[in-house]
Amino acid sequence: MSLFEWCQWLQHTRFATAISESDWLFPLIEGSHILALPLSVGMIVILDLHLLGIAFSDGPGRKLVLNLMRWCKIGFAVMFLTGGLLLVTQAGKAYGNAFFRTKLILLLLLGINAAAYQKLFFPKMAQWDSATGAPAGAKFCAGFSLLLWIGVIVCGRTMAYQF
Amino acid sequence: MFAAALWPINSDMALLLLLQSWSNWAPLVFVRDSKYGMPVVQSFHLMGLTILLATVLLLDLRLVGLGMSDYRFSWLARQLKPWTLGAFTVVISSGLLMFLATPGKYLGSRPFRLKMALLCLALLFHFGVLRRFTAADSDARSRRVDVLVACFSLLLWFGVGWAGRAIAFIP
Repeated sequence: MSLFEWCQWLQHTRFATAISESDWLFPLIEGSHILALPLSVGMIVILDLHLLGIAFSDGPGRKLVLNLMRWCKIGFAVMFLTGGLLLVTQAGKAYGNAFFRTKLILLLLLGINAAAYQKLFFPKMAQWDSATGAPAGAKFCAGFSLLLWIGVIVCGRTMAYQF
Repeated sequence: MFAAALWPINSDMALLLLLQSWSNWAPLVFVRDSKYGMPVVQSFHLMGLTILLATVLLLDLRLVGLGMSDYRFSWLARQLKPWTLGAFTVVISSGLLMFLATPGKYLGSRPFRLKMALLCLALLFHFGVLRRFTAADSDARSRRVDVLVACFSLLLWFGVGWAGRAIAFIP
């Protein structure tokens, strides 16, 4: 069975059709996916803006990360859960969609970017203060993250128009 | 405030006709009829919503005592303010653009009316109550009132969001 056939099968399982045919389940999941944006992406954006030196600029960054991350994790848990459910109900339609594929690639790049930041710059965050600002590499990660998240939102919104 | 939501749906034919004649303005036609016009405007709406609600959430979490506890209210409120206002401008502009481009989709929509009523309440509450609340760092605050204010703020703002999402599903 090819991946496409598997996606088709997935979309037509009883579990998937129960969600997509429900009057309230699909809107509830889709609404949760969108309204979890501020708790997930919103927190990351605030952190990115801080690293770029344009928001929360007179406070230490490490403290900001620690304050934001707890809620951010909950936000992303909701995102992946609801996103996964939406994908199951539309797997066959999503498979060949260019915007869906782009969104997946952007999310993969975001994961790599975040892991690189975590490894290279997070341990050093206590060393730079708000006066000197983040080093160029950390700023690059932040700018890259902002651009990629914009792309994810645009792709996510646009793909729904093509289903 | 909820009069707008309860207003008879068919009573404003004249308004609909007026708005529909405006919606033939070339930039609005482009937004409505081009392949990516609407998705792009809606993407801006979502990006604005992301930042707007993130700033509101942080203030509310701080009020409840579940997040941002390392920061003082006054400092947090001051840092967030330009982003709240900036994001609000983006959300309103993109929303207005959608409304003017396809007024027929919104004028007769009950969830849209509810959304506008909730939006007015959320704004009044945000600037009338919550902002005044978070501007002071007084130690004599009542935690119970703080929690109540935060919950009401979240209920109103996320109510706006849910009502907005319902436009696509409920007539």
